[in-house]
Amino acid sequence: MLVIENLTKVYENGFIALKGINLEIPDGQFVAIIGLSGSGKSTLLRCINRLIEPTSGRIIWNGLDITAAPDDELRVIRRRIGMIFQQFNLVKRASVMSNVLSGRLGYVNPVYSLLNYFPRQDREKAIMALKRVGIEDKAQNRAGMLSGGQQQRVGIARALMQDPEMMLADEPVASLDPATSHSVMKYLQLLNKEDGISVLCSLHFLSLARTYADRVIALKDGKLEFDGSPKDIDEDRFRQIYGEDAVQVEIH
Amino acid sequence: MNPAPSPASVAFRRLLIVISVAIGLVVFAYGWSVTEINFDKPQEPLRQQNFGNAIREILSPDLLERDYEIKVGSTAFLVECKAGEEAPATAPAPSDSSPYLVVTPTCADSGTPIMIQGFNFYPNSLARLTWVANDGTRSIQQIVGNTKDNFVTNDDGRFNAQIVVPKIRGSAGKVSTIETQGYFPTGAPHFTNTTALVLQKMVETIFLALIATAISILPSAVISIFAAHNLMRPVRISLGNLLVMVALLPVGWWIGTNLLVQLGHLILGLSHAGTVLAGGTASLVVFGAVTTSRTRSLEFNPFSGRMRSVFNTLLMVLACVIVVTIVAVTFLFIGRMFTTGIPGYLSNLFGSIGELIELLIAPICGVIGAFGLASIGGVLTVDGLKKLDPTMQHVVGGILGAISGAIVLGAMALIGMQAAWLGFLTPIVAGILGAQLLPLLYTKLSGKKQTSIAGRSLDSILWWVGFIAAFAVTFLTLNMGLAIIEGTLPPASSVTTIGFITISNYILDAMIIGIVLGGAGGLSVGTKGIFPLGEVLYQTTRTILNTTRAIEPLIIALIFSILVGIGPFAGVLARTLHSIASRAKLYSEQIESIDTGPIEALQSTGANRLQTIMYAVVPQVIPPFVSFTMYRWDINVRMSTIIGFVGGGGIGFVLQQQINLAQYRGAGVAVLAIAIVVSILDYLSATIRERYV
Repeated sequence: MLVIENLTKVYENGFIALKGINLEIPDGQFVAIIGLSGSGKSTLLRCINRLIEPTSGRIIWNGLDITAAPDDELRVIRRRIGMIFQQFNLVKRASVMSNVLSGRLGYVNPVYSLLNYFPRQDREKAIMALKRVGIEDKAQNRAGMLSGGQQQRVGIARALMQDPEMMLADEPVASLDPATSHSVMKYLQLLNKEDGISVLCSLHFLSLARTYADRVIALKDGKLEFDGSPKDIDEDRFRQIYGEDAVQVEIH
Repeated sequence: MNPAPSPASVAFRRLLIVISVAIGLVVFAYGWSVTEINFDKPQEPLRQQNFGNAIREILSPDLLERDYEIKVGSTAFLVECKAGEEAPATAPAPSDSSPYLVVTPTCADSGTPIMIQGFNFYPNSLARLTWVANDGTRSIQQIVGNTKDNFVTNDDGRFNAQIVVPKIRGSAGKVSTIETQGYFPTGAPHFTNTTALVLQKMVETIFLALIATAISILPSAVISIFAAHNLMRPVRISLGNLLVMVALLPVGWWIGTNLLVQLGHLILGLSHAGTVLAGGTASLVVFGAVTTSRTRSLEFNPFSGRMRSVFNTLLMVLACVIVVTIVAVTFLFIGRMFTTGIPGYLSNLFGSIGELIELLIAPICGVIGAFGLASIGGVLTVDGLKKLDPTMQHVVGGILGAISGAIVLGAMALIGMQAAWLGFLTPIVAGILGAQLLPLLYTKLSGKKQTSIAGRSLDSILWWVGFIAAFAVTFLTLNMGLAIIEGTLPPASSVTTIGFITISNYILDAMIIGIVLGGAGGLSVGTKGIFPLGEVLYQTTRTILNTTRAIEPLIIALIFSILVGIGPFAGVLARTLHSIASRAKLYSEQIESIDTGPIEALQSTGANRLQTIMYAVVPQVIPPFVSFTMYRWDINVRMSTIIGFVGGGGIGFVLQQQINLAQYRGAGVAVLAIAIVVSILDYLSATIRERYV
């Protein structure tokens, strides 16, 4: 259970990205976060694992106060929260294997890891993770040589190495074409259904949210605009979230 | 669309352009006079001649030479032909093709020109004529139309030389001998001594550059991390934690230099068997440190987690000291093993490193102790500091701030005591500390962070007011005006004794200012405040790097040669220092231009800071680092060619020597060698960089 209480983020330039967000997300839910660019989706996701430091409010996950955790405790918490990114955030010059293994860094012995040593079970785990996302044959390729969809799958495999209980996905398909988008979303869905990992995924397209999410949260100007089932978003709701001039675009 | 500019503004802009061109011209003209550009001196004939000679000789490098043997052809000659007396017959052509002379006529009065023909000499080589009088006195004869003693034989080894029969008392009527010494080359051409010296010094130069480049790789890579804004900016730490650590640094230093160092000395003094034993223990400790650093539990347990972390740090501290000293002992042992050949070089290398560690063992232990204790202190107090109620936060912050302020300013004063201009450190740091106070107070009173332009400008005005005030007070208290004008240092005799500690008044004054400023700062911010540690480290590193880079390596070499003597070692030190400073900047710029996505991604996996750097930053910067290292070696070789001018070793020494002796042909050899080596390296480094990046 992830509980967000009165979360506010004010950037140093004075921009208020989040204004008192309150949320409760039970374990195992697939939550889509929608909203216009700049509505606070990315900030919300990054506040959860404190890649961005919240200004005020609390985030409590399974009884642990993430917002109050000191550095060492925060790292232990972050290990169980996977994250994938719009730009994949892989080290392009390094091999796929090395990228996937880096997802295990929070667990392995820090001294060994600095010598680039990973235990055998971790290497096997990395192969398994690559198998799950269907690119085990690319293990030795340079990550930068892969196509966008494949890179995102490497990103998922890296997150899988963390044995995550929750997955944060920041616009995971915004840089991909529609067909690839669906394949990446299907992998996220698989993790959600098979492993029971909660997924918090920010999306641009409402149609994707309708297809994959159990619940949709809409942000507008840093405030919670809608929280409910994707089925409940009708034309009026849609206009509320995206503005009067918005037109729905389907992605198939 | 911008509105069309009004004619007035167009005219004004043109006027501005004209004025700036005119100003630029004046500035340029002034520079022309300052640099004394004039064409009168180059027109003096003597200068032109010397210049031509110098250029000609530099372009005729004294590269090769041949060995010569001198063969002599001679013939008899009667001075004053007398009736009835036979003139000596011209020597007949010898059968074995050795040189011979034919003189016509065979007798003549002194003062009369005679013609000497030489045969069988070496073609196009030097020869010289000697007149041997009847009593054996020898005199070199210049041939007519020649200003030098030597002349050159023609293509088929002959010569025709006209000389004038010399006037030698008592030679009249006697038979003299005319000798011609001809130079005959023997053996193949070979290098001159200058060339040999130049080659030797060129090798020295290349290695000087190589060693300086290699030594500076690691320090500059590490420093570049601190000089990279994108890595440092997010590094923040709660003020309470920081203050605890700063307060513990000197205590840790004391423990290190007094207790840990005993362990170091113990190991350094061990016999070989003891070393083996210590090595075993060390590996056990290292193994313990390595294995316990694994975080096994899935949930974070504050107490056991912290205990393990403390235990870990203790083990790490011990392991560091033991490993460092064992390395020193082993290296010293290797250093004694061989003296000659390739093993000798290796022995010498390791032996020197071992010696260096042995010499620096106390400060090494001090640093290990300081950071170890600070880290333990930070871990142990993190929970306690969190539980403080708001009032206590400020009280504790004030106390810790006072202690830390005293330590920081005391340390600055200790450095500042050493030289007048280093003394500026204390007021500057005090100023920076003091500058924080007024803006803090303002924020506190107005109850929010200033975001409006007016608020921010007021903030920065307050900052400067605080800075100048704190600077001035410190400057006056420490009586720095005197030090700066007179160059005097604070008197060592002026001390205060508190309990059993005797402390210089200068440091004490600085510490009191530190207590006031640090205390006030800590009191107003409280332990929960966030300190931008990364930003401070970044600014400090940048400032130090920029200052170091501003000092010309030739000057550094000059100063180092006082410490280590004239020779390549001084050059290595100078080039290393400069390389570290300039390469750390280049490296840090590379780090700043990397894709930050992977950093974010690795942080989100729970990797620690060092792991993030290793896995997200290092792979991205290795190609540019390699490229810059090659480039730097290239530059170092170029620069090392002149560092010998100031006693830094290498080829510059030969160059300077030859120029000072006006041996421009010798200098030409050095110039040629530099040109060849630099262009080869230029090409090589360009090729390697192209291939690698």
